[in-house]
Amino acid sequence: MKMIFTALDKFSNFLKMIGAIALTSMMLLTVVDVIGRFFKHPIFGSVELVGFLATIVVAAALPYTHKVDGHVGVEILVRLLSKKAQISIDIFTKSLTLVLFSLISWQMFLYAKDIHKTGEVSMNLEFPIYYIVYLLAFGLLIFSVTILETIFGDIKQLRELKTK
Amino acid sequence: MSPTFIGITGIIIMILMFLTRMPVAFVMASVGFVGFSCMISPDAGLVLLSRNVYETFDSYDLTTIPLFILMGQLGFNSGISKRLYDAGYKFMGSVRGGLAMATVTACTAFGAVCGSSPATAATMATVGLPEMKRYGYDDELATGSVASGGGIGMIMPPSVVLIIYGILTEQSIGALFVAGIFPALLVTFLFILCIYIRCRISPEQGPPGERFSWPEKLKALLGLGETLVVFTLVIGGIFIGLFTPTEAAAIGAFGILIIAIVRRQISWQGFVKSLMETLRTSCMVLMLIAGAVIFGKFLAVTRIPFEIAGWVAGLEMSPVLVMGVIIGIYFIGGCFMDALAFVTLTVPIFFPVVMELGFDPIWFGIIIVMVTEMGVITPPVGINVYVVYGVAKNVLKEEIPLEKIFKGIFPFLLAVILGVIILIMFPSIILFLPNLMY
Repeated sequence: MKMIFTALDKFSNFLKMIGAIALTSMMLLTVVDVIGRFFKHPIFGSVELVGFLATIVVAAALPYTHKVDGHVGVEILVRLLSKKAQISIDIFTKSLTLVLFSLISWQMFLYAKDIHKTGEVSMNLEFPIYYIVYLLAFGLLIFSVTILETIFGDIKQLRELKTK
Repeated sequence: MSPTFIGITGIIIMILMFLTRMPVAFVMASVGFVGFSCMISPDAGLVLLSRNVYETFDSYDLTTIPLFILMGQLGFNSGISKRLYDAGYKFMGSVRGGLAMATVTACTAFGAVCGSSPATAATMATVGLPEMKRYGYDDELATGSVASGGGIGMIMPPSVVLIIYGILTEQSIGALFVAGIFPALLVTFLFILCIYIRCRISPEQGPPGERFSWPEKLKALLGLGETLVVFTLVIGGIFIGLFTPTEAAAIGAFGILIIAIVRRQISWQGFVKSLMETLRTSCMVLMLIAGAVIFGKFLAVTRIPFEIAGWVAGLEMSPVLVMGVIIGIYFIGGCFMDALAFVTLTVPIFFPVVMELGFDPIWFGIIIVMVTEMGVITPPVGINVYVVYGVAKNVLKEEIPLEKIFKGIFPFLLAVILGVIILIMFPSIILFLPNLMY
């Protein structure tokens, strides 16, 4: 088990790096496109490329954002409960989130397979969209496994609290 | 089961799920998915999940968000805030409460490169709090002005909340940005007035600082130069239709980066930190939008927003009164929930009502941002207060009790309320600039 999670850690770090590179490219690509436009040489299909890069940014950031607890929630009530109750509620909500994102990744893989078959390409560049959708599905899958990891972490914490 | 019944059950379950601390984005997506599956079919629900998530992430309009967040982060990590503060300080430092006024003005200026209110508050607190401490300013006034001033960062374009409002309601993001300029200046002016009155009543709160000569003042003003250039390029470019918001954001971020490199004010670590922070925040914001879109599709098939809109229109209440109630809901909601999350959640519900009553969509967007600005500084969830509390602990090495900060904010809260009333009475303050566009 531990080996899987170490591998997962490496993976999510790798994704984070890809995200950072995609973000920087998004900025540079747009800047070059705008400057090129003034000299009548815009980058062909830059709007599509920027959209793809943005998808990569979010897909790559999903596991990292979950790890640093980056999503906003309503803390007000749970803060008043005991540590044990808080962790139990967390396990419950994280399990729900896990179900939701397993469904989304599964559907995303199906969607990618679908448009792979129909051979759908982007409008200007005629780039096969299914690459991007597969990538997104993959990011979502890693994200789902990361949620599972944090659930295990919570269960461990709960056990330690009980033995004390 | 009637669609309305399923819709209302969905909303109640959603509110209960919020209380478990489950991220708002995931709650909206779960409830939206289950509800949509009940209304149409599970297969349709599953398709909705994948298509909407992909389309949200791939949307060109939304690419603005990571780029504007990056611009703010680069500004944060490259010390622009210090120069902005310096200029305000040299001009206003010598009057009573002048440092607090300088802080508020610098918040507005920093808001011109940064689209988030807690980020603005954190930045200016780091720079402003130690200075105010040095001159013996009262803790209440010092922390209150930083926390409230941070809220201006949300109104002053670029603003992440306005981008989201624009996308959810299909309004021009450029027009919303331009519309935010005068309201932001109005709030800045009201805050300065508020500090002035406060220091008139109890002068010991903000003792005057040293006076600077004109050459020194002008030199400090030069430090503002590049921020002004970047802001003019970004917002001016959108205003005259030279760039799309995405292009403007990319140019703004790139401009700030180049300035920081030339001035040797950003390290490689600072750059990487900006990128990581941007990844995290963008992911959070885009997930919120994806969740709101899925939830919105569910609401739309239950027809609840339209039913409410028709019902309110049939009440024959005065539109201003209805607007008052809506503002009240935003104010209370903003006290309990993150501003951004609350806007994404409620705009699909209230927007049809507001349109039915004949209000201007751009005007309503600015009013919502103004009201949620109150939310970020009011207890119990006022995020800016916690941010300032945290910064004070780190920078001043002393704890300023939360109650003290909340108390310091109160007069500023009155100023924002006054600002909202002025904007309701004189909508042209908001609409004047966007009407000049194109």
